[in-house]
Amino acid sequence: MRINTKLTTYEICALTIIFIGIKLTDTTPTLLSNSTQNAFWYIPLISFIVMFPFFLITLYLLNKYKADHLVDLLQILLGKTLGKALAFFIFIFSFFLSAFDFRSYVNQIKLLYFDKSSITIIFALLIFISIFGAIRGIKVIGYTARVFFPLFQFSLVLLIILVYPSLVFERIYPIFGSGLSNVMYEGIFKGSFFSSFILLMMILPVARKPENFYKGTIMGLIISVLQIVFLFLIYATFFDYKSIERVPYPFHDVALYIDLGSFFTNIETFFMTFWLFAVFIRFILLLYLNTWLFGATFDIDNFELLILPMGFLIMVIGLIPDNIIVNEFVYRNHLLNLNTIFLFIVPVILLICHFFKRKKV
Amino acid sequence: MDKWIKSTVLIVLLIILSSCQDMIEVEKESFVIAIGMDVTDQEGIYEFTFQIANPNIASPMTADPNGAPDEILTVLGADIMTAKDKADAIVTKRISLDHTAIFVISEELARSGDLLRVIQPGTRTSHMRHDIQIIVSKEKAETFLNNNNPIFEQKPYKYFQYKITQTKETGIIPYADLHRLLQITEGDADLFLAIYATTIHDEEEIEKSEDQYLAGELLQKGGDKTQFMGSAVFKNGKMIDLLTAQETRIANLLDRTVPLNNILVTYTDPIKPEFYISGNYIQTKNPDIKIDYDAKANHATIDVTVLFEFEILAIPSLISYAENNEHKEILEKHLVETNTQLAKKFIEKTQEEYRSDPFYWSLYIRKYFKDVPSYEKADWHNNIYPNAEVNIKYELKRLQFGKTMSDTNLSEVRD
Amino acid sequence: MLRKKQTKNNHNQISSNLVENIDKIKNDFSYQINNDFSFRMLTAKFNQKDICLCYYASLVNSDKIEQSIIKPLLEQDGESIANIVTVESVKVLTDCDEINQNVTSGKVILFMEDHSQAYSIDVSQFEHREVSQSENESVVRGPKEAFTESIHVNISLIRKRIRNQHLVSEVLHVGKRSKQDVQLLYIENIANDQLLENIRSRINAITADSVQNVELLEQYIEERPLSIFPTILYTERPDNACTYINRGHVVLLMESSAACLIVPINFWAFFHNIEDRYSRVMFSNFARAIRFLALFLTTMVSALYVALANFHTEMIPLDLLLAIASARDRVPFPLLLEVLLMEVAFELIREAGIRIPNPLGPTIGIVGALILGQAAVEANIISPIIVIISALSGLTSFVISDPSFNFTVRITRFIFIFAASLFGIYSLIICFVMWLMYAISLKSFGVPYFAPLAPSYQSNKNIYFRKPLRNEKWRPKYLLPKDMKMLKK
Repeated sequence: MRINTKLTTYEICALTIIFIGIKLTDTTPTLLSNSTQNAFWYIPLISFIVMFPFFLITLYLLNKYKADHLVDLLQILLGKTLGKALAFFIFIFSFFLSAFDFRSYVNQIKLLYFDKSSITIIFALLIFISIFGAIRGIKVIGYTARVFFPLFQFSLVLLIILVYPSLVFERIYPIFGSGLSNVMYEGIFKGSFFSSFILLMMILPVARKPENFYKGTIMGLIISVLQIVFLFLIYATFFDYKSIERVPYPFHDVALYIDLGSFFTNIETFFMTFWLFAVFIRFILLLYLNTWLFGATFDIDNFELLILPMGFLIMVIGLIPDNIIVNEFVYRNHLLNLNTIFLFIVPVILLICHFFKRKKV
Repeated sequence: MDKWIKSTVLIVLLIILSSCQDMIEVEKESFVIAIGMDVTDQEGIYEFTFQIANPNIASPMTADPNGAPDEILTVLGADIMTAKDKADAIVTKRISLDHTAIFVISEELARSGDLLRVIQPGTRTSHMRHDIQIIVSKEKAETFLNNNNPIFEQKPYKYFQYKITQTKETGIIPYADLHRLLQITEGDADLFLAIYATTIHDEEEIEKSEDQYLAGELLQKGGDKTQFMGSAVFKNGKMIDLLTAQETRIANLLDRTVPLNNILVTYTDPIKPEFYISGNYIQTKNPDIKIDYDAKANHATIDVTVLFEFEILAIPSLISYAENNEHKEILEKHLVETNTQLAKKFIEKTQEEYRSDPFYWSLYIRKYFKDVPSYEKADWHNNIYPNAEVNIKYELKRLQFGKTMSDTNLSEVRD
Repeated sequence: MLRKKQTKNNHNQISSNLVENIDKIKNDFSYQINNDFSFRMLTAKFNQKDICLCYYASLVNSDKIEQSIIKPLLEQDGESIANIVTVESVKVLTDCDEINQNVTSGKVILFMEDHSQAYSIDVSQFEHREVSQSENESVVRGPKEAFTESIHVNISLIRKRIRNQHLVSEVLHVGKRSKQDVQLLYIENIANDQLLENIRSRINAITADSVQNVELLEQYIEERPLSIFPTILYTERPDNACTYINRGHVVLLMESSAACLIVPINFWAFFHNIEDRYSRVMFSNFARAIRFLALFLTTMVSALYVALANFHTEMIPLDLLLAIASARDRVPFPLLLEVLLMEVAFELIREAGIRIPNPLGPTIGIVGALILGQAAVEANIISPIIVIISALSGLTSFVISDPSFNFTVRITRFIFIFAASLFGIYSLIICFVMWLMYAISLKSFGVPYFAPLAPSYQSNKNIYFRKPLRNEKWRPKYLLPKDMKMLKK
């Protein structure tokens, strides 16, 4: 029976929101507030406004050339070898960034809940579930995201409602944080928050209709940016600008502080459950897309067999940094900055090639 | 096939065995309800007191009527974690700080300025929650915790929870959890108020009006010995002064981040000053704070308008304020004046003696600055607030008289 | 009714010689040993030829043979057998295999001399239970009839509810040595052709000796025999079956099975109850909400207890935590072992309760409650809290009315308990995500297991809660029915 099991707008939107929106739960606010102090809450908005035209260019080109997915588009516009080389570069960047991402979240889990267990075991479990989920296939990941998505949103809303009495809105002043120039610099150069969006462009073939994909990703991107900005605003008004530099995981800190009445005073495990769902979906998807990118670059059809070695490699790389400070402020920071430059250049190159092709024809 | 089975079993065993490190049976953990800290003669070494709850009093089946509700243990250490480790060696169960409710430091330690040093593990580990209440005790923390002897409540954790919630509602103690301490102290612009408590009562009888007491001064015979009243003022992590309950109330009412709005107060009777009038002071809206900031001269004019309602509960002098319009006007004027006077006196004290404000008013000056470096250069703490011109105005919105229309006419009753 | 069947097998042909035929059939059916197999020789009046009747005495209605076959043959005149024999179903057979199949199905075979054809006359009467109340799927509000072990009765129960000329009952045969009939019921202008092809090919691919009833058939045609999720619905209520037929599903019936199979099926079919449709919207949505809560409790409550009490004590309020600690102080076992002990004990009582002979039933209830509950707590083998938790998780599993899915839920509960004991909530959530992803990736006869939630299709959105009946317009699209609309304009 040929039923259409491909993904619809809702599923792609849910995947995008979980994939990108989960940034509001990790060390991003700390990273940003180190240089911009209490203006960090609207930095994602600036980054988004700066990056959005570049995304639109890539999506427009995908639509124009009716390409299968990103790597296909690169090959069409730049020719086979150059396209493959560029795709390989993109793959290397996102692979290393993913490995450090993995490590960042494993650090979170270990710090909060597992004092004595070794970090290798926790990392191994995370890789295990990512491999298991990735082997199931992209469609199953999409369906799972659809099932979990309302629960995740519900827990966010509950968090916001419970923390609301403790917020002090005047803390967003002075409005420009550590200075307008600093804010602008960070805004422009941290556009690589949305670097994972490049990976999402590989999903195009799995959508029922290409319009579903475009609508789903753009809507998902906008909604997740709004969510991130809103939650960052909450962190900024809950923690003052000096304290947030010291707090590595503001999401969990907020969850530690709030209580539900006078009986349930420690409910952070409740939020941890929903957070873990979203984290697993994100990493399953990350592993799958990285492997797909690799497979598409080297024309491998059954790239699902590569998921296991890829996962293992990510674990090995992710265990390299010693601690949070090195991981965050050295590796991730530099990689994010480099990645942004990359994200600016690639769509521009593609656009130039597009114009060349039009001229030729 | 055999190889697969063996390797699977090994991997499974590895996972199972490695998790045993974090798994702990419930009965092998003991829960600390209160931590106390004192100075010792050695610098850098402090005395930590842990009050551990006894689980056996919790269930009626296993309750031992003569059993102690808790165990109080004192050890020396350089910080909380080392002390906890030492205590772990003494107590049979592993200590868990997840359910700690209060953190008591002695006045001596608070005045020495070491508060930030010792509270620092709270930010580094996730085991100390940020809603722990900070209490400063007049005597040593160890004595405070040992003297605590609740009468009704068998369970000490319930005792602290109820007591603090209860007294917070009357406004005589400030809102003082670890989160607020960190925000205010690291924000470096205001004063932090910690709860002041004691179990040792003053011997002399001091006559003051209701809320002008400090903890320990309230005369009581019988009842619970512990008194929570008033606050300890911290500037930059060092205790500089004490506030009476009345001053604490004013600080709470003028602070927009503190949700206090309904307390019982006593004023002198305007017509017969030897009697007092008591009633409910209700602040339905937060005080309106307008700051006029002159950037060049770095001078601020702060206009505070406080709208309040008053519901009279007791008029022992039996003068009919409700029915007589003249008397009512006198009363209204008197209420506004008394409040304004008290607030003015207190604000002047903060400007001159403390040179900073306990009302978290630095929030309102922030919007005049474009970015943080210029705000920090202007320095609310030391430059703006002590030199600011503060005009405080109380406005009585509504005067209510409770249930009765008029009081008994004493001369009619007495022949 | 007269039907002709042509076969091409030569050595299976019936010979014209009556004696040869009789010898052959005696041989096939072991006449010397077989007490059951009966013969009746007679001479027909209408053409004065010898006629032999062969049948199984235990499978036929002897009155009918006497009244409608033997009597007319001996007394009436006519041109052919069809005009003399008054039984309603007379077939002509030319194949010996068919003869054997017909005799074992309770038909009478009539051999006539000089005739190379045999007649098969349907006088079968299988003994069966009468239509009674449904025992395992009882409802408070709704019809209470259940299927019985006779296929004619079952089909009549279905046909009386669906008066549609397009409701078709198709017959397939399974089993090599003992050929049983499998009836497929479906509405032919709604059900999808490829689905039917799929079902037919699976049934025809069965190479077992004999498939006695529908429960065994289920295990032969399902896709993943080792999976913990059932992919075929088993129900003993005809109204349930009719609801599914109306949507475009296919129902499988067999003789001597008091239940039917419904394919293809998804997760929601196990979760919904037929009573949901019989109550009003708000009542049934309330019942569904309770069932959801029960599903959550039964799978998760023991695992959550293990995870929280062993790894995340900070989540439990201090009061409760001290109560648990003091209760557990006296218990010699670690928490995980205590939980497993109680769960296994509950499962043992449950299994024993199914097999217990009726007079002992209440005794076991008292024994179970007293000994396990009260005495064990007082002897300090278990703590009182674990009694409550395991009773809660055990009783809420009864809210799931489907018997196969009940097992799924119970097995899942044990898997979760083991997972939670490894790393607390972390490993519990890992296990849950694995379970969910595995379930989502299943397919039952080509239909995804979580449709219409997971791949989303046009349907009545009858997933978590249902809409009023007046607003139900569509058939579920994942079945690809030929006609999507439920209302005929």
